[in-house]
Amino acid sequence: MKENRYFVLILAGLLVAAFAVGITSTAAQAVTKITFWHAMSAKRMPAVNRIVEGFNATHPDIKVEPQFSGKYKEVLAKAIAAARGGSPPHIVQVYEVGTQTMLDSGAIVPIFKIAKPGEIDWGDIIVPIKDYYAVDGKLYSMPFNSSTSILYYNKDLFRKAGLDPTKPPTTFAEMEKIGEKIVKSGVAPNAVSFGWPDWQFEQMHTLHQQFYADHQNGRAGRATKVFGNREFGVRVVSEWTKWAKKGVFLYGGPEYSANKAFLAQKIAMLYQSTSSVGSITKAAKFEVGTSFLPRLQGYPRGNTVIGGATLWTMKGHSQKEYDAVWEFYKYLVRPEVSAQWHKDTGYFPSTNSAVKLLMDQGWFSEHPNHLTAFLEILTGVKVPASQGVRLGPFVAIRQAFRTALEKSVEGKLSPQEAMDEYAAEANRLLKEYNELYQ
Amino acid sequence: MQSRFPGRLLPYLLLSPSVVIVIVFLIIPSIQSLYYSFFRVSPFGDRLVYVAFDNFIKLLNPDYLNSFIVTLVFTGAIVVIGLAVCLALALVANQKVAGIGLYRTALIWPYALSPAVAGTIWALVFDPSTGAFSYFISLVSGTMPNWRTNGTFAVVVITLAAMWKMVGYNVIFFLAGLQTIPRELIEASEIDGAGALTRFLKITFPLLSPMTLFLLIMNTLYGFFQVFGLIDVMTEGGPARATEVLVYKLYYDGFISLKTGYASAQSIVLFVFVAGLTLLQFRFAKRWVFYQ
Repeated sequence: MKENRYFVLILAGLLVAAFAVGITSTAAQAVTKITFWHAMSAKRMPAVNRIVEGFNATHPDIKVEPQFSGKYKEVLAKAIAAARGGSPPHIVQVYEVGTQTMLDSGAIVPIFKIAKPGEIDWGDIIVPIKDYYAVDGKLYSMPFNSSTSILYYNKDLFRKAGLDPTKPPTTFAEMEKIGEKIVKSGVAPNAVSFGWPDWQFEQMHTLHQQFYADHQNGRAGRATKVFGNREFGVRVVSEWTKWAKKGVFLYGGPEYSANKAFLAQKIAMLYQSTSSVGSITKAAKFEVGTSFLPRLQGYPRGNTVIGGATLWTMKGHSQKEYDAVWEFYKYLVRPEVSAQWHKDTGYFPSTNSAVKLLMDQGWFSEHPNHLTAFLEILTGVKVPASQGVRLGPFVAIRQAFRTALEKSVEGKLSPQEAMDEYAAEANRLLKEYNELYQ
Repeated sequence: MQSRFPGRLLPYLLLSPSVVIVIVFLIIPSIQSLYYSFFRVSPFGDRLVYVAFDNFIKLLNPDYLNSFIVTLVFTGAIVVIGLAVCLALALVANQKVAGIGLYRTALIWPYALSPAVAGTIWALVFDPSTGAFSYFISLVSGTMPNWRTNGTFAVVVITLAAMWKMVGYNVIFFLAGLQTIPRELIEASEIDGAGALTRFLKITFPLLSPMTLFLLIMNTLYGFFQVFGLIDVMTEGGPARATEVLVYKLYYDGFISLKTGYASAQSIVLFVFVAGLTLLQFRFAKRWVFYQ
């Protein structure tokens, strides 16, 4: 009988002790701790850690704690759960498709609210990046990892198939012809695959100066419809489906899953984010070439679009912590930090000064594949249609597109039917989302 | 002899942790789900629009029905084929053979892997362009099966992976069941001249029925809820929603597409369906399960 009472006492004691530990550990905090949730996996993770370590070493009163929190979509879901639960991190890396969601969230502090005037030269930020993320000329989130899509190709396979390795395809027609030659010569079972197929469809729109959605891609007002089932979108999907039927195109699944086929030389070409340039050149057992995305003839010239992610500052923290966050952002745009980030990953450095630094170091002449994305995006035409798409339920819309593309490539639906199905679904998603914000 | 707890408070105190856990992690979220299922919710949950039964009505669309059918086919295969194979394996593993310990350990192995690891292994082996399995298939048949575009093949691969993952669990329980069957009964039947098949049908299988029912329920629940990890790692519900089982669709709509209200409605439907299915199994079971 007595033993039971002691047991209860011990339990109670443990509880009190646990609380006490919790209180003292928060009180003992002298350095400002900043939590930073990111989605940078594989070779990108050590690159992030390198930046954070450099920052912490030079700022003894601040400790940034990076935490890998899964894929982009998982980081966003986790951040939302944390914000709803009242304990958001300070900084969250959110991919470009989450931009409208974050703007609507009411859970963020825009960057211009924590910025100290004159400390970051916004004019130095690379123009397409600023254009993509700015809302009415103001940046709400901090540019961090920006990329665009380029064409990777296997020069060895080109040679083996009797093709000129200095002449990658520049048009859809050439892609089809070169692709058929590769497949027929038997050097690889298929010729081309895409990373992020949904994003490539967006790239096709911006590259040919076509709007992806109404209200100027949702930038002049909330988008209410997507244009994917119009002539242009159907044309693109028809071409891709035709390639698939000829064995030229291998549908490679979402995100980075197609990289494996490219590295295993099962395909000779890959549309992929420039952020893979570092890992692909390192892992490839063949000579990697890079070039611009092939175009459809007969459409006006636009530009490829930015992808990647920015850093969002979450509400619910003290001014002191926001000052620390600001210090971290300032560190990120330092030319040497930004340039190293580019070298490690292939993402664009965020500033023109960093580009100059890389050029002065001779980086681009030694690593021409790192230059391709710059030339591609900086030589494109600056028009509203190529600035980037902003949709509330963008993640769900992308999934709807992938589903439709899979149906078309598999031959279950015709390209027109597939795109109609996709557009109907996307428009319904937009309507439901917009009703929340009326 | 019955001993009593001293005082009135202690039993409640000792029970309280589990009661608190059940309330916080089960009851409250369930009530919240029910509440949210009548709303359209903004991603960050700061805006709610009352939509009455709209979320439930939307479940009648082809995508959800497709998901329902995929789940039924998938769970059906796991339960029927999976359990049959596991029973056969358990019967074999119940023999007195040299090195049986080794075989048993090997059989149980897959269960020790986390779904994510199992999914990664299967994704590697079946990778359309670099996987070992795909390579052998292409050697034999000349064509490359691609579960990134071929929905039927994707379902087959996921089903195989899910069954494989449950082999250890099922075999352990079947083995335990087999070992409780009294030797005398088997010997008596042998003396009476029963063959191996008769013995299995008349003695082993009936005596194993409580275990079979238990595994039937566990495998049904597994098919409905726990294959999430495999699907997330391998197909993400694709291609073209071919492997989008109910629980994966719920996760995707709720946590990736950020449609909390719609996902809540799905969770309510899923709850009712699985509860109904389990009750049905118990009721049906009374007729044929033989408890010793």
